[in-house]
Amino acid sequence: MEYLIHLVILISIYSILGLSLNLVVGYTGLLSVAQAAFYGIGAYATAILMTGFGINFYLSLVLGMILAALAAFLVGLVLSKFKGDYYALVSLGFNVIIFSVFLNWQSLTRGPLGIPGIPRPAPPFLLVALAALALVYFFCRFLVNSSFGRTLMAIREDEKAIQIFGYQTHHFKLAIFTISAALAAVAGSLFASYISFIDPSTFSLNESVFIFAIIIFGGLADLRGSVLGALFLILLPEALRFVGFPPDVAAQMRQLIYGLILIGLMLYRPQGLIGRYKL
Amino acid sequence: MEIVPQLVANSIIAGSIYSLVALGFNLVYGVTKFFNLAHGALAVVGGYTTFYFLKYLHLNLYLAVVLGVLVAGLVGYLLDKFIYLPLRQRKASGMVLLVASLGVFTAIQALLAILFSSQFQTLSLYIGPQRIFDLFGGIITQTQLIILVSVLLITILLSWILNQTMFGKAVKAISDDEEVAKIVGINTNKIIGYVFFIGSAVAGLAGILVGFDTGIEPTMGMFLLLGGVIGAIVGGIGNIYGGVLGSFLLGFVENFGIWQISGEWKAAIAFILLTLFLIFRPEGIMKK
Repeated sequence: MEYLIHLVILISIYSILGLSLNLVVGYTGLLSVAQAAFYGIGAYATAILMTGFGINFYLSLVLGMILAALAAFLVGLVLSKFKGDYYALVSLGFNVIIFSVFLNWQSLTRGPLGIPGIPRPAPPFLLVALAALALVYFFCRFLVNSSFGRTLMAIREDEKAIQIFGYQTHHFKLAIFTISAALAAVAGSLFASYISFIDPSTFSLNESVFIFAIIIFGGLADLRGSVLGALFLILLPEALRFVGFPPDVAAQMRQLIYGLILIGLMLYRPQGLIGRYKL
Repeated sequence: MEIVPQLVANSIIAGSIYSLVALGFNLVYGVTKFFNLAHGALAVVGGYTTFYFLKYLHLNLYLAVVLGVLVAGLVGYLLDKFIYLPLRQRKASGMVLLVASLGVFTAIQALLAILFSSQFQTLSLYIGPQRIFDLFGGIITQTQLIILVSVLLITILLSWILNQTMFGKAVKAISDDEEVAKIVGINTNKIIGYVFFIGSAVAGLAGILVGFDTGIEPTMGMFLLLGGVIGAIVGGIGNIYGGVLGSFLLGFVENFGIWQISGEWKAAIAFILLTLFLIFRPEGIMKK
Protein backbone atom coordinates (compact mmCIF):
# COMPACT_ATOMS: atom_id res chain seq x y z
CA MET A 1 0.00 0.00 0.00
CA GLU A 2 2.81 2.36 0.94
CA TYR A 3 4.45 1.54 -2.38
CA LEU A 4 1.23 2.21 -4.27
CA ILE A 5 0.86 5.61 -2.59
CA HIS A 6 4.48 6.34 -3.48
CA LEU A 7 3.77 5.60 -7.14
CA VAL A 8 0.63 7.74 -7.21
CA ILE A 9 2.57 10.67 -5.74
CA LEU A 10 5.36 10.27 -8.29
CA ILE A 11 2.85 10.04 -11.11
CA SER A 12 1.14 13.22 -9.87
CA ILE A 13 4.45 15.09 -9.78
CA TYR A 14 5.42 14.00 -13.27
CA SER A 15 1.91 14.65 -14.58
CA ILE A 16 2.29 18.26 -13.44
CA LEU A 17 5.64 18.44 -15.23
CA GLY A 18 4.10 16.90 -18.35
CA LEU A 19 1.11 19.26 -18.30
CA SER A 20 3.35 22.29 -17.91
CA LEU A 21 5.66 21.25 -20.75
CA ASN A 22 2.74 20.32 -22.99
CA LEU A 23 1.59 23.95 -22.90
CA VAL A 24 4.86 24.96 -24.56
CA VAL A 25 5.63 21.98 -26.80
CA GLY A 26 2.18 20.64 -27.62
CA TYR A 27 0.03 23.74 -27.74
CA THR A 28 2.53 26.34 -28.90
CA GLY A 29 4.81 24.05 -30.95
CA LEU A 30 8.04 25.22 -29.29
CA LEU A 31 10.59 22.49 -28.68
CA SER A 32 11.69 23.30 -25.13
CA VAL A 33 14.07 20.87 -23.44
CA ALA A 34 14.55 22.91 -20.27
CA GLN A 35 11.72 21.80 -18.01
CA ALA A 36 14.04 20.12 -15.50
CA ALA A 37 15.69 23.50 -14.88
CA PHE A 38 12.42 25.06 -13.62
CA TYR A 39 11.55 21.85 -11.80
CA GLY A 40 14.91 22.22 -10.06
CA ILE A 41 14.40 25.90 -9.23
CA GLY A 42 11.12 25.02 -7.51
CA ALA A 43 12.73 22.16 -5.64
CA TYR A 44 15.71 24.21 -4.46
CA ALA A 45 13.48 27.12 -3.47
CA THR A 46 11.43 24.86 -1.22
CA ALA A 47 14.47 23.02 0.12
CA ILE A 48 16.43 26.16 0.99
CA LEU A 49 13.50 28.20 2.31
CA MET A 50 12.14 25.37 4.45
CA THR A 51 15.40 24.09 5.93
CA GLY A 52 17.29 27.39 6.11
CA PHE A 53 14.58 29.90 6.97
CA GLY A 54 11.85 27.73 8.47
CA ILE A 55 9.30 29.02 5.98
CA ASN A 56 6.06 27.10 5.62
CA PHE A 57 5.68 24.70 2.64
CA TYR A 58 2.92 26.55 0.82
CA LEU A 59 4.69 29.88 1.00
CA SER A 60 7.92 28.29 -0.25
CA LEU A 61 5.94 26.77 -3.12
CA VAL A 62 4.61 30.16 -4.17
CA LEU A 63 8.04 31.77 -3.85
CA GLY A 64 9.51 28.92 -5.93
CA MET A 65 6.90 29.55 -8.62
CA ILE A 66 7.72 33.25 -8.67
CA LEU A 67 11.45 32.54 -8.87
CA ALA A 68 11.04 30.02 -11.70
CA ALA A 69 8.74 32.39 -13.56
CA LEU A 70 11.28 35.17 -13.17
CA ALA A 71 14.09 32.98 -14.52
CA ALA A 72 11.88 31.83 -17.39
CA PHE A 73 10.92 35.41 -18.18
CA LEU A 74 14.55 36.50 -18.46
CA VAL A 75 15.57 33.51 -20.60
CA GLY A 76 12.35 33.74 -22.55
CA LEU A 77 13.13 37.33 -23.58
CA VAL A 78 15.91 35.88 -25.70
CA LEU A 79 14.40 32.48 -26.40
CA SER A 80 11.10 33.79 -27.79
CA LYS A 81 12.97 35.28 -30.74
CA PHE A 82 13.86 31.79 -31.98
CA LYS A 83 11.92 28.82 -33.23
CA GLY A 84 12.45 25.22 -34.27
CA ASP A 85 15.95 23.78 -33.94
CA TYR A 86 17.46 26.90 -32.40
CA TYR A 87 14.76 27.08 -29.75
CA ALA A 88 15.52 23.47 -28.79
CA LEU A 89 19.25 24.09 -28.68
CA VAL A 90 19.15 27.28 -26.60
CA SER A 91 16.63 25.81 -24.14
CA LEU A 92 18.85 22.75 -23.81
CA GLY A 93 21.77 25.03 -23.11
CA PHE A 94 19.79 26.82 -20.42
CA ASN A 95 19.20 23.47 -18.71
CA VAL A 96 22.93 22.75 -18.78
CA ILE A 97 23.69 26.16 -17.26
CA ILE A 98 21.11 25.86 -14.46
CA PHE A 99 22.40 22.38 -13.69
CA SER A 100 25.91 23.75 -13.30
CA VAL A 101 24.56 26.51 -11.05
CA PHE A 102 22.96 23.90 -8.76
CA LEU A 103 26.20 21.95 -8.77
CA ASN A 104 28.62 24.82 -8.27
CA TRP A 105 26.90 27.47 -6.18
CA GLN A 106 27.93 25.52 -3.12
CA SER A 107 27.27 28.18 -0.51
CA LEU A 108 23.60 28.15 -1.46
CA THR A 109 22.87 24.62 -2.73
CA ARG A 110 25.62 22.58 -0.99
CA GLY A 111 26.59 21.36 -4.47
CA PRO A 112 26.81 17.61 -5.01
CA LEU A 113 26.13 16.95 -1.30
CA GLY A 114 22.53 17.99 -1.77
CA ILE A 115 20.10 19.29 0.84
CA PRO A 116 18.71 16.73 3.33
CA GLY A 117 15.93 16.95 5.90
CA ILE A 118 13.31 18.90 3.96
CA PRO A 119 10.07 18.73 6.00
CA ARG A 120 6.63 17.80 4.68
CA PRO A 121 3.42 19.79 5.11
CA ALA A 122 0.89 18.58 7.69
CA PRO A 123 -1.87 16.86 5.62
CA PRO A 124 -1.19 13.38 4.11
CA PHE A 125 1.15 13.98 1.20
CA LEU A 126 -0.96 11.98 -1.22
CA LEU A 127 -3.78 14.51 -0.81
CA VAL A 128 -1.45 17.48 -1.26
CA ALA A 129 -0.02 15.97 -4.46
CA LEU A 130 -3.41 15.06 -5.91
CA ALA A 131 -4.86 18.47 -5.04
CA ALA A 132 -1.90 20.16 -6.74
CA LEU A 133 -2.36 17.97 -9.81
CA ALA A 134 -6.08 18.76 -9.97
CA LEU A 135 -5.45 22.49 -9.64
CA VAL A 136 -2.76 22.45 -12.33
CA TYR A 137 -4.90 20.30 -14.62
CA PHE A 138 -7.93 22.56 -14.43
CA PHE A 139 -5.81 25.66 -14.74
CA CYS A 140 -4.24 24.24 -17.93
CA ARG A 141 -7.67 23.28 -19.27
CA PHE A 142 -8.98 26.75 -18.62
CA LEU A 143 -5.89 28.19 -20.32
CA VAL A 144 -6.01 26.11 -23.50
CA ASN A 145 -9.75 26.65 -23.94
CA SER A 146 -9.43 30.41 -23.59
CA SER A 147 -8.75 32.81 -26.44
CA PHE A 148 -5.16 32.94 -25.19
CA GLY A 149 -4.91 29.17 -25.77
CA ARG A 150 -6.37 29.47 -29.24
CA THR A 151 -3.77 32.09 -30.10
CA LEU A 152 -1.04 29.71 -28.95
CA MET A 153 -2.33 26.99 -31.25
CA ALA A 154 -2.51 29.48 -34.09
CA ILE A 155 1.15 30.35 -33.49
CA ARG A 156 1.97 26.65 -33.66
CA GLU A 157 0.13 26.20 -36.96
CA ASP A 158 1.35 29.34 -38.71
CA GLU A 159 3.22 32.04 -36.84
CA LYS A 160 3.54 34.35 -39.85
CA ALA A 161 -0.19 34.27 -40.55
CA ILE A 162 -1.16 35.21 -37.02
CA GLN A 163 1.42 38.00 -36.99
CA ILE A 164 -0.34 39.50 -39.99
CA PHE A 165 -3.50 39.72 -37.88
CA GLY A 166 -1.57 41.95 -35.52
CA TYR A 167 -0.66 39.48 -32.77
CA GLN A 168 2.71 40.09 -31.12
CA THR A 169 3.59 36.40 -31.20
CA HIS A 170 6.76 36.67 -29.14
CA HIS A 171 4.75 38.12 -26.24
CA PHE A 172 2.56 35.04 -26.32
CA LYS A 173 5.56 32.72 -26.55
CA LEU A 174 7.16 34.50 -23.62
CA ALA A 175 3.97 34.37 -21.55
CA ILE A 176 3.37 30.65 -22.01
CA PHE A 177 7.02 29.82 -21.33
CA THR A 178 6.84 31.77 -18.06
CA ILE A 179 3.55 30.16 -17.00
CA SER A 180 4.89 26.72 -17.84
CA ALA A 181 8.00 27.34 -15.72
CA ALA A 182 5.90 28.41 -12.72
CA LEU A 183 3.85 25.21 -12.97
CA ALA A 184 7.00 23.08 -13.25
CA ALA A 185 8.22 24.72 -10.04
CA VAL A 186 5.10 23.40 -8.27
CA ALA A 187 6.22 19.89 -9.16
CA GLY A 188 9.71 20.74 -7.88
CA SER A 189 8.41 21.92 -4.50
CA LEU A 190 6.31 18.78 -4.15
CA PHE A 191 9.24 16.56 -5.06
CA ALA A 192 11.67 18.21 -2.64
CA SER A 193 9.26 18.06 0.24
CA TYR A 194 8.13 14.50 -0.53
CA ILE A 195 11.56 12.89 -1.00
CA SER A 196 12.99 15.18 1.75
CA PHE A 197 16.39 15.22 0.01
CA ILE A 198 17.48 16.81 -3.26
CA ASP A 199 20.75 17.00 -5.14
CA PRO A 200 21.60 18.41 -8.58
CA SER A 201 21.57 15.03 -10.36
CA THR A 202 17.75 15.00 -10.34
CA PHE A 203 17.61 18.13 -12.49
CA SER A 204 20.02 17.24 -15.26
CA LEU A 205 19.30 17.25 -18.95
CA ASN A 206 18.29 13.58 -18.72
CA GLU A 207 15.34 14.63 -16.60
CA SER A 208 14.24 17.12 -19.25
CA VAL A 209 14.46 14.36 -21.84
CA PHE A 210 12.31 12.19 -19.59
CA ILE A 211 9.62 14.87 -19.20
CA PHE A 212 9.79 15.37 -22.92
CA ALA A 213 9.31 11.62 -23.48
CA ILE A 214 6.23 11.72 -21.19
CA ILE A 215 4.38 14.26 -23.28
CA ILE A 216 5.41 12.77 -26.61
CA PHE A 217 4.37 9.31 -25.45
CA GLY A 218 1.04 10.46 -24.03
CA GLY A 219 0.32 12.82 -26.86
CA LEU A 220 1.05 16.43 -27.70
CA ALA A 221 -1.66 19.07 -27.26
CA ASP A 222 -3.81 16.80 -25.13
CA LEU A 223 -3.89 17.31 -21.38
CA ARG A 224 -5.11 13.80 -20.60
CA GLY A 225 -2.19 12.58 -22.70
CA SER A 226 0.33 14.12 -20.31
CA VAL A 227 -1.19 12.33 -17.32
CA LEU A 228 -1.40 9.09 -19.30
CA GLY A 229 2.23 9.49 -20.41
CA ALA A 230 3.40 10.02 -16.83
CA LEU A 231 1.42 6.98 -15.71
CA PHE A 232 2.96 4.70 -18.32
CA LEU A 233 6.51 5.95 -18.16
CA ILE A 234 6.64 5.80 -14.35
CA LEU A 235 5.09 2.34 -14.14
CA LEU A 236 6.97 0.76 -17.05
CA PRO A 237 10.47 0.96 -15.53
CA GLU A 238 9.11 0.08 -12.08
CA ALA A 239 8.92 -3.43 -13.51
CA LEU A 240 12.74 -3.32 -13.71
CA ARG A 241 12.83 -3.02 -9.93
CA PHE A 242 11.54 -6.56 -9.68
CA VAL A 243 14.03 -7.98 -12.20
CA GLY A 244 16.76 -7.23 -9.68
CA PHE A 245 19.32 -5.06 -11.44
CA PRO A 246 21.72 -3.17 -9.19
CA PRO A 247 20.41 0.41 -8.68
CA ASP A 248 23.06 2.05 -10.86
CA VAL A 249 22.31 -0.24 -13.80
CA ALA A 250 18.55 0.09 -13.26
CA ALA A 251 18.82 3.90 -13.53
CA GLN A 252 20.73 3.61 -16.79
CA MET A 253 18.28 0.97 -18.00
CA ARG A 254 15.49 3.51 -17.49
CA GLN A 255 17.34 6.09 -19.56
CA LEU A 256 17.90 3.48 -22.26
CA ILE A 257 14.18 2.69 -22.35
CA TYR A 258 13.21 6.38 -22.55
CA GLY A 259 15.65 6.89 -25.41
CA LEU A 260 14.32 3.90 -27.31
CA ILE A 261 10.73 5.04 -26.69
CA LEU A 262 11.51 8.43 -28.22
CA ILE A 263 13.06 6.79 -31.29
CA GLY A 264 10.22 4.29 -31.65
CA LEU A 265 7.54 6.98 -31.33
CA MET A 266 9.20 9.20 -33.91
CA LEU A 267 9.42 6.27 -36.32
CA TYR A 268 5.98 4.76 -35.85
CA ARG A 269 3.67 7.13 -34.03
CA PRO A 270 4.89 10.74 -33.80
CA GLN A 271 1.56 11.94 -32.31
CA GLY A 272 1.87 9.58 -29.31
CA LEU A 273 -1.03 7.67 -27.77
CA ILE A 274 -3.80 10.27 -28.00
CA GLY A 275 -2.05 13.37 -29.31
CA ARG A 276 -3.68 15.94 -31.54
CA TYR A 277 -0.56 17.50 -32.91
CA LYS A 278 2.34 15.94 -34.79
CA LEU A 279 5.75 17.50 -34.53
CA MET B 1 54.52 28.87 -16.54
CA GLU B 2 53.19 32.10 -17.92
CA ILE B 3 49.46 32.51 -17.67
CA VAL B 4 48.63 34.11 -21.01
CA PRO B 5 50.62 31.73 -23.26
CA GLN B 6 49.14 28.80 -21.34
CA LEU B 7 45.64 30.16 -21.85
CA VAL B 8 46.40 30.51 -25.55
CA ALA B 9 47.63 26.91 -25.68
CA ASN B 10 44.54 25.66 -23.82
CA SER B 11 42.28 27.66 -26.11
CA ILE B 12 43.89 26.15 -29.19
CA ILE B 13 43.47 22.61 -27.85
CA ALA B 14 39.83 23.18 -26.87
CA GLY B 15 39.21 24.80 -30.25
CA SER B 16 40.76 21.81 -32.02
CA ILE B 17 38.54 19.33 -30.22
CA TYR B 18 35.40 21.37 -30.92
CA SER B 19 36.52 21.70 -34.55
CA LEU B 20 36.60 17.93 -35.00
CA VAL B 21 33.05 17.67 -33.68
CA ALA B 22 31.91 20.69 -35.70
CA LEU B 23 33.39 19.33 -38.96
CA GLY B 24 31.30 16.17 -38.86
CA PHE B 25 28.24 17.97 -37.54
CA ASN B 26 28.41 20.50 -40.37
CA LEU B 27 28.82 17.80 -43.02
CA VAL B 28 25.76 15.94 -41.77
CA TYR B 29 23.75 19.14 -41.28
CA GLY B 30 24.66 20.23 -44.81
CA VAL B 31 23.07 17.21 -46.46
CA THR B 32 20.19 16.51 -44.04
CA LYS B 33 19.35 19.99 -42.60
CA PHE B 34 18.63 18.75 -39.12
CA PHE B 35 20.41 19.04 -35.76
CA ASN B 36 21.78 15.57 -35.17
CA LEU B 37 22.16 15.58 -31.38
CA ALA B 38 23.37 11.97 -31.52
CA HIS B 39 26.58 13.30 -33.04
CA GLY B 40 28.05 13.83 -29.57
CA ALA B 41 27.25 10.26 -28.56
CA LEU B 42 29.23 8.97 -31.55
CA ALA B 43 32.34 10.67 -30.19
CA VAL B 44 31.81 8.71 -26.98
CA VAL B 45 31.32 5.50 -28.98
CA GLY B 46 34.72 6.08 -30.62
CA GLY B 47 36.41 6.68 -27.28
CA TYR B 48 34.94 3.61 -25.63
CA THR B 49 35.66 1.34 -28.61
CA THR B 50 39.34 2.24 -28.46
CA PHE B 51 39.29 1.86 -24.68
CA TYR B 52 37.73 -1.59 -25.04
CA PHE B 53 40.30 -2.79 -27.57
CA LEU B 54 43.20 -1.45 -25.51
CA LYS B 55 42.10 -2.66 -22.10
CA TYR B 56 40.43 -5.98 -22.77
CA LEU B 57 41.96 -7.20 -26.05
CA HIS B 58 45.40 -5.56 -25.57
CA LEU B 59 45.47 -4.51 -29.18
CA ASN B 60 48.18 -2.41 -30.73
CA LEU B 61 47.62 1.33 -30.06
CA TYR B 62 47.27 2.41 -33.70
CA LEU B 63 44.99 -0.49 -34.57
CA ALA B 64 42.76 0.31 -31.60
CA VAL B 65 42.50 3.96 -32.66
CA VAL B 66 41.69 3.03 -36.26
CA LEU B 67 39.05 0.55 -35.10
CA GLY B 68 37.55 3.16 -32.78
CA VAL B 69 37.21 5.61 -35.66
CA LEU B 70 35.72 2.97 -37.96
CA VAL B 71 33.21 1.71 -35.37
CA ALA B 72 32.01 5.28 -34.69
CA GLY B 73 31.61 5.78 -38.44
CA LEU B 74 29.75 2.51 -38.82
CA VAL B 75 27.36 3.30 -35.96
CA GLY B 76 26.64 6.67 -37.57
CA TYR B 77 26.00 4.97 -40.90
CA LEU B 78 23.64 2.43 -39.33
CA LEU B 79 21.74 5.13 -37.42
CA ASP B 80 21.08 6.85 -40.71
CA LYS B 81 20.06 3.64 -42.44
CA PHE B 82 17.63 2.43 -39.79
CA ILE B 83 16.35 5.61 -38.17
CA TYR B 84 17.00 8.84 -40.06
CA LEU B 85 16.60 7.53 -43.61
CA PRO B 86 13.11 6.02 -42.99
CA LEU B 87 12.11 9.31 -41.34
CA ARG B 88 13.43 11.39 -44.22
CA GLN B 89 11.65 9.20 -46.74
CA ARG B 90 8.43 9.89 -44.86
CA LYS B 91 9.17 13.63 -45.18
CA ALA B 92 9.28 13.95 -41.41
CA SER B 93 9.92 17.50 -40.16
CA GLY B 94 13.29 18.58 -38.79
CA MET B 95 11.75 18.55 -35.31
CA VAL B 96 10.89 14.84 -35.57
CA LEU B 97 14.45 14.06 -36.63
CA LEU B 98 15.78 16.19 -33.79
CA VAL B 99 13.66 14.40 -31.20
CA ALA B 100 14.66 11.01 -32.64
CA SER B 101 18.32 12.01 -32.40
CA LEU B 102 17.76 13.10 -28.80
CA GLY B 103 16.42 9.59 -28.18
CA VAL B 104 19.47 8.07 -29.87
CA PHE B 105 21.77 10.24 -27.77
CA THR B 106 20.07 9.22 -24.52
CA ALA B 107 19.99 5.53 -25.45
CA ILE B 108 23.67 5.35 -26.50
CA GLN B 109 24.81 7.22 -23.40
CA ALA B 110 22.86 4.85 -21.14
CA LEU B 111 24.04 1.77 -23.03
CA LEU B 112 27.69 2.78 -22.65
CA ALA B 113 27.17 3.43 -18.94
CA ILE B 114 25.66 -0.05 -18.55
CA LEU B 115 28.49 -1.72 -20.48
CA PHE B 116 31.44 0.20 -19.04
CA SER B 117 30.03 1.78 -15.82
CA SER B 118 29.75 5.56 -15.48
CA GLN B 119 33.27 5.86 -14.10
CA PHE B 120 35.86 8.16 -15.61
CA GLN B 121 38.47 6.18 -17.58
CA THR B 122 41.80 7.40 -18.89
CA LEU B 123 43.23 6.14 -22.14
CA SER B 124 46.64 7.72 -21.59
CA LEU B 125 47.55 4.79 -19.31
CA TYR B 126 48.15 2.82 -22.47
CA ILE B 127 50.66 5.11 -24.12
CA GLY B 128 53.20 5.55 -21.38
CA PRO B 129 54.89 8.82 -20.40
CA GLN B 130 54.33 11.70 -22.76
CA ARG B 131 56.73 14.26 -24.12
CA ILE B 132 55.98 17.83 -23.27
CA PHE B 133 56.49 20.78 -25.56
CA ASP B 134 57.00 24.41 -24.73
CA LEU B 135 55.00 26.69 -27.02
CA PHE B 136 56.14 30.29 -26.42
CA GLY B 137 55.81 29.75 -22.68
CA GLY B 138 52.65 27.64 -22.81
CA ILE B 139 52.96 23.92 -22.20
CA ILE B 140 51.29 21.33 -24.40
CA THR B 141 51.58 17.55 -24.31
CA GLN B 142 52.35 15.20 -27.18
CA THR B 143 48.67 14.14 -27.34
CA GLN B 144 47.60 17.75 -27.60
CA LEU B 145 50.06 18.30 -30.44
CA ILE B 146 48.56 15.27 -32.22
CA ILE B 147 45.09 16.75 -31.70
CA LEU B 148 46.17 19.99 -33.34
CA VAL B 149 47.83 18.22 -36.26
CA SER B 150 44.81 15.94 -36.79
CA VAL B 151 42.48 18.93 -37.05
CA LEU B 152 44.67 20.58 -39.68
CA LEU B 153 45.05 17.34 -41.66
CA ILE B 154 41.35 16.47 -41.53
CA THR B 155 40.25 19.96 -42.50
CA ILE B 156 42.59 19.85 -45.51
CA LEU B 157 41.50 16.31 -46.41
CA LEU B 158 37.80 17.13 -46.17
CA SER B 159 38.14 20.28 -48.21
CA TRP B 160 40.05 18.30 -50.85
CA ILE B 161 37.31 15.65 -50.93
CA LEU B 162 34.56 18.24 -51.15
CA ASN B 163 36.22 20.30 -53.86
CA GLN B 164 38.08 17.78 -56.00
CA THR B 165 36.16 14.51 -56.08
CA MET B 166 32.90 13.46 -57.72
CA PHE B 167 31.69 12.42 -54.29
CA GLY B 168 32.37 15.89 -52.93
CA LYS B 169 30.50 17.50 -55.80
CA ALA B 170 27.55 15.22 -55.10
CA VAL B 171 27.64 16.23 -51.42
CA LYS B 172 27.64 19.91 -52.39
CA ALA B 173 24.79 19.36 -54.82
CA ILE B 174 22.69 17.66 -52.13
CA SER B 175 23.49 20.46 -49.67
CA ASP B 176 22.21 23.01 -52.17
CA ASP B 177 19.06 21.16 -53.14
CA GLU B 178 18.37 17.51 -52.54
CA GLU B 179 15.45 17.30 -54.98
CA VAL B 180 17.44 18.74 -57.87
CA ALA B 181 20.39 16.50 -57.01
CA LYS B 182 18.06 13.52 -57.30
CA ILE B 183 16.75 14.68 -60.65
CA VAL B 184 20.24 14.89 -62.15
CA GLY B 185 20.81 11.28 -61.17
CA ILE B 186 22.67 11.44 -57.84
CA ASN B 187 21.83 8.54 -55.54
CA THR B 188 21.22 10.92 -52.65
CA ASN B 189 20.45 8.35 -49.98
CA LYS B 190 23.68 6.48 -50.67
CA ILE B 191 25.74 9.68 -50.57
CA ILE B 192 24.03 10.84 -47.35
CA GLY B 193 24.83 7.43 -45.84
CA TYR B 194 28.51 7.94 -46.66
CA VAL B 195 28.42 11.45 -45.23
CA PHE B 196 27.05 10.02 -41.99
CA PHE B 197 29.93 7.52 -41.97
CA ILE B 198 32.59 10.19 -42.52
CA GLY B 199 31.08 12.73 -40.12
CA SER B 200 30.63 10.14 -37.37
CA ALA B 201 34.15 8.76 -37.88
CA VAL B 202 35.61 12.25 -37.39
CA ALA B 203 33.46 12.65 -34.25
CA GLY B 204 34.76 9.27 -33.09
CA LEU B 205 38.32 10.51 -33.53
CA ALA B 206 37.48 13.54 -31.40
CA GLY B 207 36.24 11.23 -28.64
CA ILE B 208 39.36 9.07 -28.82
CA LEU B 209 41.70 12.06 -28.68
CA VAL B 210 39.85 13.51 -25.70
CA GLY B 211 40.23 10.08 -24.11
CA PHE B 212 44.01 10.25 -24.49
CA ASP B 213 44.19 13.89 -23.45
CA THR B 214 41.99 13.80 -20.33
CA GLY B 215 39.71 10.74 -20.24
CA ILE B 216 36.33 9.37 -21.21
CA GLU B 217 33.01 9.02 -19.44
CA PRO B 218 29.59 8.20 -20.90
CA THR B 219 28.25 11.71 -20.28
CA MET B 220 31.03 13.56 -22.09
CA GLY B 221 29.03 13.46 -25.33
CA MET B 222 26.92 16.45 -24.32
CA PHE B 223 29.90 18.69 -23.61
CA LEU B 224 31.53 17.72 -26.93
CA LEU B 225 28.27 18.12 -28.82
CA LEU B 226 27.53 21.55 -27.38
CA GLY B 227 31.06 22.76 -28.10
CA GLY B 228 30.92 21.47 -31.66
CA VAL B 229 27.41 22.71 -32.38
CA ILE B 230 28.06 26.15 -30.93
CA GLY B 231 31.29 26.29 -32.95
CA ALA B 232 29.40 25.29 -36.07
CA ILE B 233 26.61 27.85 -35.57
CA VAL B 234 28.94 30.68 -34.60
CA GLY B 235 31.13 29.94 -37.60
CA GLY B 236 28.24 29.65 -40.04
CA ILE B 237 26.23 26.45 -40.09
CA GLY B 238 26.86 24.14 -43.03
CA ASN B 239 30.21 25.76 -43.84
CA ILE B 240 33.09 23.49 -42.83
CA TYR B 241 35.74 26.24 -42.62
CA GLY B 242 33.33 28.41 -40.68
CA GLY B 243 32.86 25.54 -38.22
CA VAL B 244 36.60 25.37 -37.57
CA LEU B 245 36.85 29.13 -37.19
CA GLY B 246 33.84 29.25 -34.86
CA SER B 247 35.20 26.39 -32.76
CA PHE B 248 38.52 28.16 -32.25
CA LEU B 249 36.70 31.37 -31.36
CA LEU B 250 34.68 29.41 -28.82
CA GLY B 251 37.84 27.79 -27.43
CA PHE B 252 39.43 31.21 -26.90
CA VAL B 253 36.33 32.87 -25.45
CA GLU B 254 35.78 29.99 -23.01
CA ASN B 255 39.36 29.78 -21.79
CA PHE B 256 39.91 33.51 -21.48
CA GLY B 257 36.44 33.85 -19.98
CA ILE B 258 37.38 31.62 -17.05
CA TRP B 259 40.63 33.49 -16.48
CA GLN B 260 38.99 35.71 -13.89
CA ILE B 261 35.90 33.73 -12.92
CA SER B 262 35.68 30.11 -11.89
CA GLY B 263 35.92 27.29 -14.44
CA GLU B 264 32.44 25.93 -13.84
CA TRP B 265 31.00 28.81 -15.82
CA LYS B 266 32.43 27.52 -19.11
CA ALA B 267 29.06 26.23 -20.32
CA ALA B 268 27.40 29.52 -19.44
CA ILE B 269 30.07 31.51 -21.31
CA ALA B 270 29.67 29.25 -24.36
CA PHE B 271 25.93 29.79 -24.40
CA ILE B 272 26.21 33.53 -24.00
CA LEU B 273 28.48 33.57 -27.05
CA LEU B 274 25.94 31.45 -28.96
CA THR B 275 23.03 33.66 -27.94
CA LEU B 276 24.86 36.84 -28.89
CA PHE B 277 25.57 35.39 -32.32
CA LEU B 278 22.01 34.15 -32.78
CA ILE B 279 20.66 37.60 -31.98
CA PHE B 280 23.13 39.83 -33.78
CA ARG B 281 24.58 37.64 -36.53
CA PRO B 282 22.44 34.51 -36.94
CA GLU B 283 24.18 33.49 -40.16
CA GLY B 284 27.51 33.13 -38.34
CA ILE B 285 30.97 34.46 -39.14
CA MET B 286 31.14 32.90 -42.59
CA LYS B 287 27.83 33.00 -44.36
CA LYS B 288 27.22 29.98 -46.54
